[in-house]
Amino acid sequence: MAGDALLKVDDLKMYFHTRDGVVKAVDGVSYELERGGTLGIVGESGSGKSVHALTMMRLVPMPPGRIEGGDVLFKGRSLIAMSDEEIRHVRGNEIAMIFQDPMTSLNPVYRVGRQIAEPLMVHKGASRAEAWDRAVELLRLVGIPNPETRVRDYPHQFSGGMRQRAMIAMALACDPDIVIADEPTTALDVTIQAQIVELMLELQERTGSAIIMITHDLGVVADVADRVLVMYAGKAVEYGTVDEVYYRPLHPYTWGLLDSIPIHGVSEKSELCPIKGQPPSLIFLPSGCPFHPRCPHAQEICRTTVPTLRVIEGSHSSACHFSGDAGFTREGVACEVSPS
Amino acid sequence: MGQYILRRLLQFIPVFLGVTLVLFVLTRVIPGDPVKLLAGERSQDPVVYEAITKAYGLDKPILVQYVNYLGSIVKGDFGQSIATSREVTTIFKEKYPYTVKLALAAIFVEIIIGIGAGVISALRPYSFLDALVTLSTSVLVSLPVFWLGMLLQYFFGIWLKRWTGATLYLPISGAHSATFPDWVHLILPAVTLASVSTAYAARIMRSQLLEVQGQDYVRTAYAKGLSSRAVLWGHSMKNALIPVVTFVALDLGAMLSGAILTETVFNWPGIGYTIFSAIGKRDWPVVIGSTIIVTLVFMVINLVVDIGYAFLDPRIRYDESKA
Repeated sequence: MAGDALLKVDDLKMYFHTRDGVVKAVDGVSYELERGGTLGIVGESGSGKSVHALTMMRLVPMPPGRIEGGDVLFKGRSLIAMSDEEIRHVRGNEIAMIFQDPMTSLNPVYRVGRQIAEPLMVHKGASRAEAWDRAVELLRLVGIPNPETRVRDYPHQFSGGMRQRAMIAMALACDPDIVIADEPTTALDVTIQAQIVELMLELQERTGSAIIMITHDLGVVADVADRVLVMYAGKAVEYGTVDEVYYRPLHPYTWGLLDSIPIHGVSEKSELCPIKGQPPSLIFLPSGCPFHPRCPHAQEICRTTVPTLRVIEGSHSSACHFSGDAGFTREGVACEVSPS
Repeated sequence: MGQYILRRLLQFIPVFLGVTLVLFVLTRVIPGDPVKLLAGERSQDPVVYEAITKAYGLDKPILVQYVNYLGSIVKGDFGQSIATSREVTTIFKEKYPYTVKLALAAIFVEIIIGIGAGVISALRPYSFLDALVTLSTSVLVSLPVFWLGMLLQYFFGIWLKRWTGATLYLPISGAHSATFPDWVHLILPAVTLASVSTAYAARIMRSQLLEVQGQDYVRTAYAKGLSSRAVLWGHSMKNALIPVVTFVALDLGAMLSGAILTETVFNWPGIGYTIFSAIGKRDWPVVIGSTIIVTLVFMVINLVVDIGYAFLDPRIRYDESKA
């Protein structure tokens, strides 16, 4: 598996050099993505999930951003070392991206069709007419009714869900190997969210492209992903298959995440069990394990030594000093609900 | 769209009535009597004075005068100049082309230099060129137009002429001469008239382009694999230009209303200068008549700008019932 991974992210680090100090937005992320696979990346806001994706696509403005280390190999080629011209041919062609807010991600002054046709003209050398016809087909594929007429609409004539469908159509235009979806459902109504996720899975089955689904919605990840990467403060803290991470989570942060999901229909009195405290400042990271100030299991070693992501069993890895120790389990901790 | 235009044209009527009324009242309130001018300011014969007053209908109540005046305007008769007895429409036809020429030349300067400097500035923010543009626009905005005009006259017309021994210099007065082709006469007045607006256009262009370049849809365009040039010209420019075009177009309207200061400094025979000197002579028919026509031009241009929006920005459609 290791040899022919489609995408191999190796200890990627992206820091922002600001006036207030160095923001370690992505501080050592590693994973592999196979052809046709689906990776879910979860974490709180500010955990570096989006920035890591933009870093791979080289869409982070530099400066202030700077890649401080690590590499991203796509089909064996380094995306980090590529020239601007080379990465341009990867973007939208081999790796496409869907963004969080479909309301602002489409250009308001151009027709939807033109915006979907654009990557085809840039990457596949399609003529204007060919690309336009293909845009109609793509809109049909993503479930826009009357695509022949709607292709001539402007973005403001589309609803939020339709715009996200148009974004998906745009991402799929060149039949990419990887689609990176950066919180694609966050800005949408709950009813639309399920439709969009379903659509993405359906299309994945058809096109066979791999998906990186960045989200803070653990339910979405459980539905779509076969592998999960949990991020905290710019670092990968747990990585494994969906079953491993959801049923046998290893890292106390993942425990906290799973415990903070409201459980439907258990008991009226069951209260939410949030992770206490705030995510740390990415400029002044805590010493040792970045999660230790919020971790109910923190010991002396957590304050002094940064844990590395290590394999615990099979492909399931965790960045906690105690993962794998006998007796160090999620069930061992009771949820302490604060009275408020 | 047709309905919208019709509605806007109907709005012209109250504006037109308001403008004429204000002008009419103002010219009566301002001290100075055109009849005295005609009758001879020093030695006045009351009989002559009476006769002139009567001949121009100035003995009637002001409201009657106003209604009479409106009546003849509707027929296209703006009356005669008190000072020269020429038809106001004839004077206007003779002077207005100069104002149009000057306005178009100034707008040309504004578009090329203003938008150009703004784009250059925005492409490399905080660079040396950007600092230069920011500094020079600040200076230009704060310079009074007439003073800048006189500076340019002194530098290009007098100092340069002396320094080069009259081989290389620019004309500083009038619209025609034996030494220069007509377009050379336009250079200094056009630059002067355009100065402040060019600075504003550059600043608006810079800030708009910087803002648009940070928008999500620009990131989308990059993520599609477009080159930075394609993103700039294909995605950012049209969005960034919308406010700039508005500003330039409204500015054109203002310039077409006559650039009184510039035309006066450069002795330019346009409508602004004509109105200015007519005010000095209390030649009310010329003042009111020219102002009314200029107001109409301004209103028509505003209408054209509003209609033009719809072509630049598809979110604006005037006939759709939904907001």
